[in-house]
Amino acid sequence: MRKFILLLISLCSSLVLTCQAKEYEVKDIVMVHLQDKTKYVCNPDGILSEGCITKMDSLLYSLEQKTGIETVVIAVRQIAGNDCFEFAYQIGKQYSIGKKKTNNGLVILLVTNERCIQFATGYGIEGTLPDAICKRIQIKEMNPYFKNGKWNEGMLSGVRSIYGYLDGSMEYEPEENSEETDSLGIITIAVLGFLGIGIFIYILEYKKFCCPKCKKHTMKRTGSTLISNRNGIRKESVIYTCTNCGYTETREETNEDDDYNGGFGRRGGGPFIFGSGGGFGDGGGFSGGSFGGGSFGGGGAGSKF
Amino acid sequence: MKNIIKILLLFIAVTSLSSCQYNTMVDKQEAVNSAWSNVENQYQRRSDLIPNLVNTVKGYATHEKETLDAVVSARAKATQMTVDAKNLTPEKLEAFQKAQGEVSSALGKLLAITENYPELKANENFQELQAQLEGTENRISVERRTFNEVTKDYNTYIRKFPNNIISSMFGFEKKSYFEAEAGAEKVPEVKF
Repeated sequence: MRKFILLLISLCSSLVLTCQAKEYEVKDIVMVHLQDKTKYVCNPDGILSEGCITKMDSLLYSLEQKTGIETVVIAVRQIAGNDCFEFAYQIGKQYSIGKKKTNNGLVILLVTNERCIQFATGYGIEGTLPDAICKRIQIKEMNPYFKNGKWNEGMLSGVRSIYGYLDGSMEYEPEENSEETDSLGIITIAVLGFLGIGIFIYILEYKKFCCPKCKKHTMKRTGSTLISNRNGIRKESVIYTCTNCGYTETREETNEDDDYNGGFGRRGGGPFIFGSGGGFGDGGGFSGGSFGGGSFGGGGAGSKF
Repeated sequence: MKNIIKILLLFIAVTSLSSCQYNTMVDKQEAVNSAWSNVENQYQRRSDLIPNLVNTVKGYATHEKETLDAVVSARAKATQMTVDAKNLTPEKLEAFQKAQGEVSSALGKLLAITENYPELKANENFQELQAQLEGTENRISVERRTFNEVTKDYNTYIRKFPNNIISSMFGFEKKSYFEAEAGAEKVPEVKF
């Protein structure tokens, strides 16, 4: 019995010791900014404290409002592969962070097990935050803290420093024109789609009342028997009679029960088009943000502490 | 009469369709040219950083003349070799890549020896040059990747049927890719 317990304990402890931190790939990082536009910090391993995150969020939100600069901060223990630059660059590239016209995206990546801090700057930020300045911020403001495992202090100090450089570096110009041309295309497609569907439904309904025998539009519904009514779907056997030639015919029809209240009842019965984009993930009254389509050229710097 | 009309229509169809493809080929080729100049720009940027780097290191590493000279001469050779996008033959690309590879290799050796000079490593100017160099290497790798992607796109387009007929008629040739540098040392990661 004792041997068994010893074995169990050693097994458990070895499992715990070899417990690897999750190796994140670019696709594994959840972009919090897309769910809540006031949030910029992805902290899946819980490395950073809530207090620190709140402070960084408020700085970065203010920065975006003033300059349009889109930032993503990521703190994880381990990434797949050990190339911090590549990871940060891919995050920026895949999510197209930064406004399309100004390419003002910024990715700040901390990987504690790799002991690296990496900034990736979009094309438009390379001027104000060149590689040398990125390195300077990391060496002076962040690494002294990181060397002692003080992630919160290091990150906050870095973000404050970055804010100091980027604040006032550019004006935020909301891109109205591009949005208009985009939505024009979508509206046209939607209208055509509507028309197409409408015509289609009309033709179907019309054909319903054509008599197969005398080819006149004189069929009428004269009686029905319910076959089944399950999960809000009515199946009926309907009798149609032609008022012109007297031809009768029975058809099996399925309809949605208008009185059904359970499950996912379809609203309106018509085609479902375009729920409002901002309606998703309405947590705490804030709607989701988005990234503007900016591009990255490989700028920025990284350092090991 | 009907036959003539058919032939005429066929002719119009073929020419209008092929002009569509020809224009796309032109676009794609221009994309390759543009990507090539981006690559050259980044290599040039690296070249521009080197004199400053050499001078900073000279101040501290007074007995490393050989290594410093190697970097300077490799750089001089590479700077002379500029390739016009329109003349980008496989041979020229290979030669260009080889020259730049020698610069990478010489730089790698230089940065390796700086490990032995703690005062140099602590020098702010050096640290920032180091950052700029790393940044430029990153940019080079990004632009090379973009160049390869755009070239692949162009090559695939001109080789597919029926585009290959038009491409051979108008002289669109296949372009070569950046290969991984065989045997050349990567610039080593300098851990501070």
